[in-house]
Order: sequence, then C-alpha cells, then structure tokens
Amino acid sequence: MSQVSSRASGQTGSKITSAFFVIVGLVTLYDTLSYTDRDSQVFPQTVAVILIICAAISFIMQFIKPTNESGFGQGIWWRRVLLIATMFLTCVAMPIVGFLPAGVIAFVGGLVAAMHDRWSVRNVLIYWGAGAVIMVGFFALFKYVLHVPLP
Amino acid sequence: MLKRHFLQCAAAIAIFANVGIASAAELKGPVSYVIPFGPGGESDISARFQQPFFKEKFGKDLVISYQPGGGGAVGWASLNGLNGDGHTIMGVNLPHIIIKPAQKDVGFTTADLNTFYMFHYTPDAIVVTADSPYKTLADLVADAKANPGEVTMSGSGKASANHLAQIKFDKMAGTLTTYVPFKGTGAAVTALLGKQTKAEWGYTTVGAKQGDAVRMLAVAMDERHPLFPDVPTFKELGYDMSGGAYRGIALPNTASAETTKMWSDMIGEINNDADFRKQMLDGGFAMLDVSAEDMDAFMAERVEEYLNDAREAGLIK
Amino acid sequence: MDLSQFVAALTPFNIALALFGVIAGTVVGSIPGLTATMALAVLVPVTFSMDPASALILLGAIYTGAIYGGAYAAILLNTPGTPSAIATTFDGYPMAKRGDGDLAVALACFASVFGGMVGALALLFLAPPLSKVALAFGPVEYFWLSVFGLSLIASLSNGNLMKGLAGGAFGMILSTVGVAEISADIRLTFGSQTLIGGFGVVGALIGLYCIPVLIDLVAVPDRHLKVEENVKSVRIGDAFRLALQSKFNLIRSSVIGTLVGILPGAGGSVAGLVAYSEAKRTAKPHQKFGEGEPDGIMATESANSATVGGGFIPTLVLGIPGTPPDAIVLGALLVQGVRTGPAMFTQSGSIVYTFIYGLLIATILMLPIGLLIGRYAYKSIVTIPKAVLVPTVGFMTIIGTFSIRNSVSDVIIMLCLGVFGWVVARFGFAASPIVLGLILGPIAEQGFVQGWTIGAATHNLFGMFFGRPISQAILAFTLVTLILPVILARKSKDRMGAES
Repeated sequence: MSQVSSRASGQTGSKITSAFFVIVGLVTLYDTLSYTDRDSQVFPQTVAVILIICAAISFIMQFIKPTNESGFGQGIWWRRVLLIATMFLTCVAMPIVGFLPAGVIAFVGGLVAAMHDRWSVRNVLIYWGAGAVIMVGFFALFKYVLHVPLP
Repeated sequence: MLKRHFLQCAAAIAIFANVGIASAAELKGPVSYVIPFGPGGESDISARFQQPFFKEKFGKDLVISYQPGGGGAVGWASLNGLNGDGHTIMGVNLPHIIIKPAQKDVGFTTADLNTFYMFHYTPDAIVVTADSPYKTLADLVADAKANPGEVTMSGSGKASANHLAQIKFDKMAGTLTTYVPFKGTGAAVTALLGKQTKAEWGYTTVGAKQGDAVRMLAVAMDERHPLFPDVPTFKELGYDMSGGAYRGIALPNTASAETTKMWSDMIGEINNDADFRKQMLDGGFAMLDVSAEDMDAFMAERVEEYLNDAREAGLIK
Repeated sequence: MDLSQFVAALTPFNIALALFGVIAGTVVGSIPGLTATMALAVLVPVTFSMDPASALILLGAIYTGAIYGGAYAAILLNTPGTPSAIATTFDGYPMAKRGDGDLAVALACFASVFGGMVGALALLFLAPPLSKVALAFGPVEYFWLSVFGLSLIASLSNGNLMKGLAGGAFGMILSTVGVAEISADIRLTFGSQTLIGGFGVVGALIGLYCIPVLIDLVAVPDRHLKVEENVKSVRIGDAFRLALQSKFNLIRSSVIGTLVGILPGAGGSVAGLVAYSEAKRTAKPHQKFGEGEPDGIMATESANSATVGGGFIPTLVLGIPGTPPDAIVLGALLVQGVRTGPAMFTQSGSIVYTFIYGLLIATILMLPIGLLIGRYAYKSIVTIPKAVLVPTVGFMTIIGTFSIRNSVSDVIIMLCLGVFGWVVARFGFAASPIVLGLILGPIAEQGFVQGWTIGAATHNLFGMFFGRPISQAILAFTLVTLILPVILARKSKDRMGAES
C-alpha cells in the first residue's frame, strides 16, 4: 500500500468512525425515551448530545482540513485475523469442551500468528513445551489456588 | 415406539442418577459461595460471619467470591446454569429478587431461584447524625410537614428496600421528603455523616457500625432490637411498618431435593449457634429462620407485599 | 501509640507474612484481570486462624503489592494490570518501547515505595482529622472531581480535541449500559441479557489496551520492545537520581494520592489520573508528557500507592471502605471481632497500630522485592520470543477477564471492545479518552443526579453546584488546566513570530 492511498483510507475511515459515533449518540437519545425514571435520563442525554456535536464536527473537519491518520498501515492481515479469530473461537468452544482445551485454540492461533521466524523442530518443541507449561500453570493457579470455577 | 422406549430409559436413568446423587448428598470439597454484589455490603459481612462456623461444623471451606453487576441480576441470572451438586451456592436478597424481574426482563424470575434458607434481615431504620436537630421521629415528621420536600434523606439505590420504606413512610405520615439515592449503604451513610442530607433511610446495622456518631429515630421491627433497647419501633410510634431487606441463600434449581434439604439443615444449624447469633445481633442484624419447607409460603407473602408497595410507589406497572 | 506495637509488628512471623504478601500481591497485580480484591477474598479464611494483627498485615501487604504490580503490565505491555495503573501506560509504554523499560520499572518502584510511605504515615499520624475529608466531599464535589479528571482528555487526544471529546463521551455512554446504579432503569441493553451487567472496567481495560497491542505485535516481525545492545546492569542509580530530581513531583503526587484515597467514591485510578494531570500542568517546557516522560510514571505510581494508606483512613476511622479491597479487610476485621468506627483507635488501638506498622514494613520491603521482580519481569518480557509472548498474553487476557465474574460473555465483550479500540485508534480516536469516560462517567452521573436532587429540594441549585468552597477550588483547577496551555502556546507562538 502506498503512502497516498494509506492516507486516503485513513481519511475515509475517520469519516466512517465519526459517523458511527453520531449514530451511537442518536441511538442513545432514542433509548433514553423509554426510561421511566428522570434520574436515569439526564446524564445519557447530555453525554449523547456532546458525542453527536463532537463527532459531527470531527466528521465535517475531515472535508475541510483532512488529517493525516495512518489508516491500517503496514502489517500482515492474516496474522491479525488469525489471532482474533482463534480468541473468539476459544470463547465459543469454552462452555462445550472446557477451559483448557479451548485455551489451546487461542494459544496455537496466537503462536502461529506471531511466528515470524523460520519453523524448526527445535523451535516447535520449545514453544509448544513452553506453551503447555504456561497454560497448565495459569489454569492451576486460577482453578485451585484462586477457586475460579473454570468450565 | 422406539422413541417412547428411549424416553422411558432416559427417565429411568435420570431417576437412578438422582437417587445416586441423593444417597450421596454430602460435600466432597470446598463450597463456592457467590455474593452477587461487591464486597463490604450487608450480604458480604453476613456471609463472612458464616464462613468460620461452616468450617468448624462441617469441616469444609466456604470460599466467598464476588460477582457484582446489574444490582445482583448478573449473578442471579447465571445461578441456574451452575452445577447443582451442592458445591455452589449464592446469596439472594429481598426485595431485589422480587422487584427487579417485575420491572424488566433481567434474565431470571423470582420463582426460578431455588432459595433454601432466609437467615437474617436488616430492619429499616431512620438514622440521623448525633448532633441532628431531630431528636425524635416526631421532630422529623414536623419539619417535613412544615417544609414539604426540603427534608432530604439518603438511601441505597432506587426501587430498593430503603426507597420503598421512604415512599411507604411518606404515605403513612402524610409527609413529603426527598429521597437521594446512593450507591450502597456505605455511600449513603457517608452522605449522612457529611451532612449532605438531613437523614438517612438505612438499617439497624448502620446504628451498630457507627455507634455514637449516629442516632436512630425508629426501627421497623415488631419488637425493639436487643442491641438498641432505647430506640422505639415504628409500630410503637403509630406507623404500621415492619420489615427491611431479607437475605438468604439459593442453590441452582438442578439441585436434588436431598441436597436442598441438606443445605437448609446446615445453614439452620449455623443460624442456631449461640455464638453466631450473638455476632449477628451485635452487628445490628435481626435473625430469621425460614427453612426450605416454609420458603414457598414466606416468598409468596413477601412477593405480594413488595409488589403492592412498589405498585403504589409507581415503580412498577 | 507507643513503640511496643512497632515491636509487635516486627516478629519474624509478621515479617514473613509481609514478605509473602508483597510478593504474592505484586504477581497478582501484574496479571491483568487478577485483582487485589480476588486475592484478598480467597485469603480471608486463611487469616481466621491468625491473630487479627497478623491477618491484617498479610492482607495489607497483598494490597500494597498488587497496586505496585499493576505497573509492570502497564509499562511493558501497555495494559494496566489494575485500574490504578491506567495513567502509568501514558509514559511507561513509550519509555519501554524506546528501550528504557528497566528504568521505567525501577522508577515505578521508587515512586510506589515513596507514595506508599506517605499514605501509611498519614494513616499513622493524621487518620482521625483526615477522615473529615471523606465527609466534606459531597455529591457535587465528586461531580467536579470527575470533570477535572475528564479535562485530561484535552491533553490525551493527540492534537485532535474533537476526536478526544467524542471518545470520552462514547466512554461515558458505555458506562451507562446495564442496570442503572442509582436509578430504577435498565439502559442501552436492547433486550440483551449479556449487557445487563454493563461494561466492567477491568475487562474494558484489558480489551482497549491489551488487544490492540497484540494485534500490532503479530502484524510485523519487529521486536516487541527495543533493547540496548549491551544490556546494562540494573539502572537503579539512574532511577534514583531521577526520583531525587523530581522530589517535589513525588511529594505533591503522594499527597494527592492520599487525599483522593480517602474519598470512598474515587480510588486509585482517579488518584493516578489527577496526579498525572497536575504533574503535566506544572511541567517544564522540555518535558514531553505522553511520549515517555519519567515524571509521568512517578506521579501516577506514587499517587496510586498512596491511596492504600489513604483508603484505610475512612475504612478504619469511619467504618466506610473506600475501595473493594478495603471492604474485604473491613469484613475480615468484623469477623475477628474488631469493631471499626470512631472508637476503634482507642478500643482496639494495639491491633490497629500493629497493622499500620505492618503496612509500613510491607511498603519498605517492596523496594528490594519490587526491583528484583521488576528486573526479572522486564528481562523475561524482552527475551521471550514473540511467538511465545503473544499467545501467553492472549491466554492471560482470556483467563483474567473470565475470572472477574466467571463469565464467558465478559470475555467476548472484552474482545469486541479490543477490536473496536484498535480500529478506531487507526483513525485518530485514542483508547485513553474512552477509558477515562468509562471510569469517570459513573462518578459524574451519580454526583450530578444527587447534587441536583438535593439542590432542587433545598431550592438552591446554583449554590449547590457553584457555591461550595471545595467545588470552587476544583473548578478553578480545572479551568487553569484547560486554559493555561492555550495561553502559553499563544505566548510562545508570539515570541517565535517576533524572533523571526
């Protein structure tokens, strides 16, 4: 991605985010209409108005005086996606297969995503061994020392 | 045909499994006691009082953890998804578990909760600072009548025991006071001591904790609290108010009848320990003994009472 | 008070407890999601069999250690281990990134020990008079304090004020989601059961700070933190010199921390933010806060450690706990049969004083232990290969977030916030204003609603919000913080213009 197109995508993203915040403010205002207690309305309404004003100004300013946001910049997308996707997958799997097996999914995902060196037998053995020790250690600490009811 | 057969088998297995659990209604390890609030409140303190007695009597650890959120709703909504083998219990509070589900869908209903014992309550009380011009309840009522709305009273939360008591008392006394909600009893007491408000709707526990710094004008009990022989009850003063916030313990509703009975008996045994009672009374709590058998009747009565109060107060439709 | 209690605190058993407590606390605090509250809740039953003073020393030491431990993750991973360390990330992480992580950790240790001492000494000598501060602070004062905290957004938004303010407002809206704390409504859940509990602060911190770091880490092959070629010995000397130079900053921040700690509605996170804001306001021209300024770390860390001693003042004197850990200590005291409240210092004086001396000893022990563990933590974060570091931290965020409320949906919320935070940060909406809004929103809302209710009842709304001396003082500070930089910038621009 070239410098120019990166900046352009940064500006578009900036507009989209500002617009998103305006919508959040409007949704909040709409939601407050259903509250029965005046005390719970005042604050969200005030804050929503502030949000709408600031986000709207920021949206308009992007046209008048575009800022230099970097946008998504450099970096390898599949690694980012793999990391987050496996972490979500862990959450979904946790109630079904239990905490530790589900944790392995996120760990492996993170390991593969962050592995920029060349794979070698030695690396693999050390990393996987370390991973197993770390996970079991944390699991034991939380479950048996701190009595967290991990599934 | 095959399907029905299968179901019968499944039922038989289920019964068998149940019996299996029933005969083994005993504790194998530490018990997780979840408090659906943060630490420091009345629920937490009373659970901490139970902790050493439980260990002493039944030899197992009672591990207290906190699961705050949504005024208790997060905890109660998750209760029935927990393991019902008797190793997980959760504190429950009235009127919370009655009012919250009546207001909106909060993920549980009052009837969902398998409450097996109500072990104490904190009677409502009007508290003022020691140097307050209100010497008696009559002083406060007179001021509230002379200056409608200007008597400010702090309390814990809205649609809570404190708030309901304030609305109920205003109606009985024909006064108009201003209720100022705070996050928890501690914050409400701080506001009172700092003279941000003129009085507080609190509990007898406030009087026990703050000692000489505060004065209670009246307590909502049938008879005077043994710790405060000089503080009159509302009834003595002509207001038919008795009650407060009730606290008990529940099991997930998957727990077998035997497990429920076992727990009801165990908590009852702690509740009847003279040392435990003394510790609770010294803390300003009032004892209550509603075991699993009497729970349905007790709950039905309270549900009717609280929903009536809340409806009259305009808190629910 | 006499020295016999000091001697009583010095038994080998008590010192061993303090040692164990500080080590355990530091470890607990450094793991995001593991809070002092949790560690204390688990350990309370263990203390039933001890005498009350020893039990208290253990609990106090864990609490002290945990507040300091929060700095490690803040400096090395840009993730506050505890909410108290939020402002530590502002300068700590930039320092670590440019290769000064060991210096930052040592600085945090010195500042924490200093702040902890100030807080504990205030508890020892000034507790009864200082407890009045807790009472003088009414709803309106809390409201203005939160506004003061929010004014920090102006300087955190990297030159784009509108985006920063929008982020702050968004954070405040997030803070209202769920069952309302002091009113009778359920807000912005759109019928979802998952959102009823709202956005927990600890989970949101992990999501908004830690997940973006992980996403950035995996995307490029560079090292996580820059390391000097020849790793020097521990940079204690440098750190000590810097700390000595900033003695005024340390003292001011510790006093702020003690005072804010006394306020039951505030806590370590607010103390750190207020102290940071003040340090920034009084900065010298060459200091660049937010880009790795050592004074930023020292201000936050001394302030949040001072809240430990400060927080025990209302807990012990008034029986009103300031923070959740204080509440647990209070509960443990009650079970031990110790009555807190105004009479405590006279009736149970020996226990209280032994406890305070124990807290002092624990704080002193934190110096060697903190430097030792800190050095080890720094070394391991720097040397562990990325392919192990990322999944380890990722696993920690999951298990830590889960254990706050034993809830899988909290983990999912945390992840969503993390991805959201990463995306919007790409477009100039930084995470810190959102976090500030999330933390200060409830304080602002409650203070405002309560102040308004009382003011309306007494027909004196204006006097309620603007007529009280403490409110006026906080308001004045807020205005100075907001306006002064603008004037100074204009002045220096004029001068530049004149010179050219």
